Amino acid sequence: MRGITKRFGDLVANDDIHLTVEPGEIHALLGENGAGKSTLMNVLYGLLQPDEGEILVDDKPVKIKGPSDAIRIGIGMVHQHFMLVPVFTVAENVMLGAEPNKAGFLDHATADRLVREVSQKYGLPLEPDAIIEDLPIGIQQRVEIVKALTRDVDLLILDEPTAVLTPQETDELLSVMRGLKESGKSIVFITHKLREVKAVADQITVVRRGKIVGTAAPTAPESELAEMMVGRSVILEVPKQAAQPGAPVLAVRGLVVADDRLHRAVDGVDLEVRAGEVLGIAGVQGNGQTELVESIMGLRPSLAGTVTFLGRDITDWSTREVLRSGVGYIPEDRSVDGLVKEFSVAENLVLDLYRSEPFGGRFALNPKAIDESAKGRVEEFDIRVQSEQQPVGALSGGNQQKVIVAREMSRPLKLFIAAQPTRGVDVGSIEFIHRRIIAERDVGSAVLVVSSELDEVVALADRIAVMYRGRILAIVPPGTPREKLGLLMAGITSEGAS
Amino acid sequence: MTSPDNEPEAMASSPDKSLSQPESGRPYYMQEIKPGKHRAGKTFWQTLREEFYADNSFTVTLAAIVLALFLGGVLMIIGDANVRAQWGYFFYQPLTTLEASWDLVSQAYTDMFKGSIVDPEVLRYWYWNLPMPSGNIPTWQTALRPLSETLTNAAPLVFTGLAVAIPFRAGLFNIGGQGQAIMGAIGGGTVGLALSLPAALHIPLAILAGALLGGFWGYVVGLLKAKTGAHEVIVTIMLNYIALYFLIWYIRQSFADEPTRSDLISKPAKETALFPKIFDDSLRVNLGIVLAILAAAGVAWMLKRGTFGFELRAVGYNPNAASTAGIKVGATLALTMALAGALAGLGGTTMVLGTAQNLTGEVVGQIGFNGILVALLGRVKPWGVVGAALLFGALQAGGAAMQTFSGISNELVTVIQAMIVIFVAAPLLVKAIFRLRRSPVAAAQAALAKG
Amino acid sequence: MRTTRGMKLIALAASAGLAFGAAACSKPPAETPGTGQSAGTYKACMVTDTGGIDDRSFNASSWAGMEAAKAANSNIATSYTASTAMSDYDPNLANSVTKGCNYIQSVGGLMGDATKKVAGANPNTQFSIVDADNLGLKNVFPIQFETQQAAFLAGYLAAGFSKTGKVGTYGGLPIGPVTIFMDGFADGVAHFNKVKGKNVQVLGWDKATQKGLFTNDFVKQEAGKQQSDTLVAQGADVILPVAGGAGLGSAAAAKAGNYSIIWVDADGYETTPYKDVMLSTVIKNSKDGVKEALSKAAGQKGTLLTGGFLGTLANNGVSLAPYHDFDSKVDPALKSEIEALKADIISGKIKVTSAAQPK
Repeated sequence: MRGITKRFGDLVANDDIHLTVEPGEIHALLGENGAGKSTLMNVLYGLLQPDEGEILVDDKPVKIKGPSDAIRIGIGMVHQHFMLVPVFTVAENVMLGAEPNKAGFLDHATADRLVREVSQKYGLPLEPDAIIEDLPIGIQQRVEIVKALTRDVDLLILDEPTAVLTPQETDELLSVMRGLKESGKSIVFITHKLREVKAVADQITVVRRGKIVGTAAPTAPESELAEMMVGRSVILEVPKQAAQPGAPVLAVRGLVVADDRLHRAVDGVDLEVRAGEVLGIAGVQGNGQTELVESIMGLRPSLAGTVTFLGRDITDWSTREVLRSGVGYIPEDRSVDGLVKEFSVAENLVLDLYRSEPFGGRFALNPKAIDESAKGRVEEFDIRVQSEQQPVGALSGGNQQKVIVAREMSRPLKLFIAAQPTRGVDVGSIEFIHRRIIAERDVGSAVLVVSSELDEVVALADRIAVMYRGRILAIVPPGTPREKLGLLMAGITSEGAS
Repeated sequence: MTSPDNEPEAMASSPDKSLSQPESGRPYYMQEIKPGKHRAGKTFWQTLREEFYADNSFTVTLAAIVLALFLGGVLMIIGDANVRAQWGYFFYQPLTTLEASWDLVSQAYTDMFKGSIVDPEVLRYWYWNLPMPSGNIPTWQTALRPLSETLTNAAPLVFTGLAVAIPFRAGLFNIGGQGQAIMGAIGGGTVGLALSLPAALHIPLAILAGALLGGFWGYVVGLLKAKTGAHEVIVTIMLNYIALYFLIWYIRQSFADEPTRSDLISKPAKETALFPKIFDDSLRVNLGIVLAILAAAGVAWMLKRGTFGFELRAVGYNPNAASTAGIKVGATLALTMALAGALAGLGGTTMVLGTAQNLTGEVVGQIGFNGILVALLGRVKPWGVVGAALLFGALQAGGAAMQTFSGISNELVTVIQAMIVIFVAAPLLVKAIFRLRRSPVAAAQAALAKG
Repeated sequence: MRTTRGMKLIALAASAGLAFGAAACSKPPAETPGTGQSAGTYKACMVTDTGGIDDRSFNASSWAGMEAAKAANSNIATSYTASTAMSDYDPNLANSVTKGCNYIQSVGGLMGDATKKVAGANPNTQFSIVDADNLGLKNVFPIQFETQQAAFLAGYLAAGFSKTGKVGTYGGLPIGPVTIFMDGFADGVAHFNKVKGKNVQVLGWDKATQKGLFTNDFVKQEAGKQQSDTLVAQGADVILPVAGGAGLGSAAAAKAGNYSIIWVDADGYETTPYKDVMLSTVIKNSKDGVKEALSKAAGQKGTLLTGGFLGTLANNGVSLAPYHDFDSKVDPALKSEIEALKADIISGKIKVTSAAQPK
C-alpha cells in the first residue's frame, strides 16, 4: 500500500500510509482504538475507497472496488464483528456468496466436502452441519477464517481477532495463525494487545492518529511498543503548583465490574482520590478503565466492592444521584455518551441540570434561563458557535468537548471525573481543558483523570495509577521515568511480569 | 430525526476536527446563514415559485397527496367497467375515452370535496333559501355537515396520531394504538353506561377512565421494554389482539350486554356521558375535536418546553448520553408509553362517547392503525399530526359521500391514504417524479436543524 | 327574507368555501318543492346495515326488491351505500339526502335511530325502513312482517309431520325478531292438537312464559347442534332453528340424526347446502315489501306515502316455502289442511298473535 490517505470530512483517518506485507509473514498493525487501523484495512478490502494513494499486489497496481474484487486478487478479511448468519449451518455460512449449486439448487454435499477439506488442510476442525448460533465465539471466528480460506486468499486480514476471545481461545488462535503462516499465507493482524503481537508477529507497524509512527521487530521490548502506541509526539506542559491534598473524597475498595461480555474487566480495584489532587489513571485502553469509571458513576453495576464518596456509600446510587451529590463527569466517548448531537448547544449545556432551578422545575423548562446561561458559558469556555441554538453535532470535536466541560464544571463540585478528556480535540482546546482541570483541583475538588495518553496523565496527575488487566499495578509519582511507566502499562512490574 | 443524507457530515464532525479553519474552508453547515441573502435580485414571485418547487417537506407532502390522488383516479378508471371497456377503443376514440375517464375521476373527487368541505350546490340553495330538488330547504346545518363530518372523523385520529408520534420522538414505534384505543373505549364506555351521574361529573369521569385504561395498556409496553428489553413492536401487536378479544368478552358480560340485541353490542352509554355536540344535535362534531386540539397543543408544549419532553427527546436521540446525564431511560420510556396509551385511550373514548354510544367489536374502527399513518404523514410533530388527521378525516368523510354519490367503493379512500404515506415515506421517489430541487433556504435550515 | 340574506352573505364569506361560494351565488332556476326532479328519474337509494349488500339475508333481499321495482318502472334509478360500521348509518343516510335521493331505504331496526334523525331533518324526502315502525315521522314508511302467521303454518306442518309426537325449536337470543317465529310455531302446534285431539309437544319454547332454549349466538354452528341434539334426545324429529348461521349446525347433523328442519327467513332449500333435510321454510319476504313501497312511492312522486307495508300471508309478505324434496313425503291431507288454514288466517277467521308482532 502506497501513500494511502482516507478522509472522512475533515477527519483524516489515514494520512499517507505506506505498508508492505511480505509473503508468508504475519504483519502486526498495532495501535489504539481509533488510530485508523481498521479504516486502512477496509480500504485494502475494498469496503472504502482511498482518497489518495494506491494498492499494489505483486508490484502491480490494482483497483479494489469492493470485497469481491479483494477476494478475486487474493485478499480475505475477518471482521471484528462476525459477518455470519446465526441460524445457518457452518457449511452454509462458509458458502454464502459463492454457493456451489446444481441446476440452481444449493449443493450441500459439495459445500460440506469443501468445508472439511479446507478445515483439515489448515488444522481448523469444524463440523459443517453445526448451527452457528450454537457455537462458542472462538469457533465462530474459525468459521470466518475458513470462509476466507475457501476463497483461496493469499493475504488474510484479521481485525482485532482477539478482542472477543477468552485467553485460551486467544492462544489457540495464535497457533492457528502460525500454522497458516507455515502454509504460505500472509496475515495482517490488527490489535492493540502487546503480548499477542510479540507472540506471533514477524513485523510490527505502529499506527497513531492515522499515521505510521514507526515499525519495530517483535524483539523490541514491550515498553517501547507501548510508548510508540500512546505516543509522545505532543509534549504537554500544564502550568501548575504543587498539590495540597486534603481529606479523601472518593474511595474505591475491592471493586469488581463486568464488561458487556460479562468478563471481569475491573478485578479488585482499590484507590483513593483526595480533595485538591489529581489522580491520573494510565494504561493501554481496554484494561478496565472504562468500566471502573462507569461503575463509580452508577452507569454499570458492580459485582463486588464499595465506592465511598465523602464518607457515604454510593455503590448502588443512580447516576442522577451521583451527579446531584457534586460529581462532574466527562465520559470517554463524547458522541456516544456525552452529547445529544441533535440538541442545541444550550440544551446540551443543561443536559444534566434541566430539572434544577433556574433551568427548569418539575414540569416546565425555563428557556430564557437556559439560553442566558448558555450565552454566559459559551463565552466563559470559549466555545465557538454561531448561536447557542445551533445543534451540537455541527460543532467541531474540540468545541463539542468544551460543551461537556462547560456543563460539568458549571456547578459546585466535590469530585471531577474526566475520562479521555481531550481525545480527538485540537491542541488549543486541549490546553484549555487541561487548565480548567487544574483550576478545578486548585479550588479543592478531587479530580480523577483517565487517559490512554501517557503524556496527558503525566502532565495533569499528582499521582499516577497504572491499570493493567483490571487491576491497579502501582501508584507512582508523576516524576517516574517513562520507561518504568511503559513497563507498567505492559504489565511488567519491577518484581517481574504479572 | 437525522435524515440519511445528513449522516456522513454528522459522523465526520465528531473526532479530530481542527478548530482553526479559515471561514471559507468551513463546511456549508457551519457557514453563517444570512436570511434573505438568496433573495437578492429576485422578485417575491420568483422566490415563491422557487420555494414551491423545492423539496422542502411541505412540498413533498403536497406532491405525495397529488400523486396518490392521481393513482386513485387510475384505480377508479380500472375499477369502472364502462370506462375500462372504453379504453379498449382508445385508438379509435381517444377523445371519448379520455373524456369518459376525466368525467368519472373528476366527478368522484368533486363528490369527495362536497362530502368533506362544502357542497356549493347546497350553499347556493341555502343562500337563496330555496328548496333543493329533493324538496327540502337546506339549513345551515346541511351546509356545515361536510365540515362537521371531517372534524368528527379527524378527532380520534389526532389522538391516535399523537400516540404514535410521541413514542417516535423517544425512539419507540408504537403499533399498539389500536389496542390502547380499545382499552380507552372500554374505560370511557363502561363509565358511560354503568354510572348515573350529572353530565358535569359524568363526562370528565368517563374521559379519565378512558385515559387511565389506555394509559395502563401503554405503560405495560413501556415497562416490559424498560425492564426486559422486550421489543415494543412485538409487544404492542400482541396487546392489540388481547385488547380486541378482551373487548369482545367484555361486551358479553351481563352488566354491559344489551339484552334486547342479538349482536355483539353493549348497552348505550347514558345521555349524561355523551360528548356534547358543538353546534347542534343534527351535526355530529362534538367535544372530541376540542379535546384533540387541546391534547395536540399540550403535547406540542411538552415537547418544546416540558421537562419530561426534554427527557423524552434526549432519550430518543441518544439514550446513552441521556443515561450518562442522569436521565432514567427506563422510566422515561415507560412514562412515554403510558402517555401515548392515554392519548390513544382518549381516541377510543371519543369514538364511543362522541359518535357510537354503544360498545361493539368494531367501536374504534381502525383509528389505531390509521394513527400510524397520520403520525408519519404529520412527520411526528403535534401540529403536523393535527393537519394529517384533518386530511384523513376529510378523505373519510369525502369517501362516504363519493360512495353514495358516484357509487365508487369507500375502500378506495383507504388505498389513497396508504399511498400518500408510502410516497411521504419515499421522498426520493416523489422528488424524482416531480423533479424537485433543493431549496437554498431549506438546505441551510436542514443543516442547521440537523437531526 | 332580505335581512337574513345579508347575514348569510357574511357567513358565506367567512366560510372555508369562499371561492366556491362566490361562484355558486348565481341564482338557481326557480323551483317549487316537489316538482324539481330533473330528467324525470326517480332516485331510490338504499343504505345497508353492517351486513353489507351480499349478506344472503335481508340486505340482499331488500336490494332485490329495489331492483325489482326498477325493472317494473324505468323511471326509477337505484343505488346503494354499504355501511361498514354502525357509525356509518348517519353519514350514509345524510349523504343520500344530499345526493338528492327521492326515496331512501333503511334496512333493519338497528338503523332506526339514525333514520329517525336524518328523516326528521329532511321532512320532504321519502324514507322507508325494514323491520321498524314509522318512528313517529310522516315521511318514514315502515315495512313490517306478521311473521307469526307463517310460523303458525310451520307449527301445524311440523305437528302433522312428526312421527314421534314431539317437535322442537330454539332461538339465537330471546329477542322479538326471534321469538315471533317461536310464538307462531308453538301456536300452530297447539292448533293442530286442538283440531286433531292429539298431544304433540313443543320442546324448547313456552309461549305463555316466553321461556325456551337459546344458543346465545347467531354464528357458532356447534352451539346450534348442541341445542338440536338436546331436543332430539328428548324425542323431537322436526326442528325449527331461529338462530341464523348457528342453525346450520342442526341442519348439517339432521340427516345423521334422522330429523328434519324448518328453516327461517329465506328458503333454506335454495340458500343452504342441506336441501335433503329441509321440510319447509318460514319466509319473510323483504323483497316484496321493498318493491311495493318503492313502486308506490315512485308512482306518486311528490307526495309522501301513507301507512306502511305489513307483510302477511294475504299479501305473500310472509309465507311457507314449498316442500321441495319433501313434497311426496308430506301427507296430501296435511297439505290441504295447511292451505285451508292459510285461507282462514287471511280471512281473519283464525287470529295468530305474538308479543313481538308489529303494533
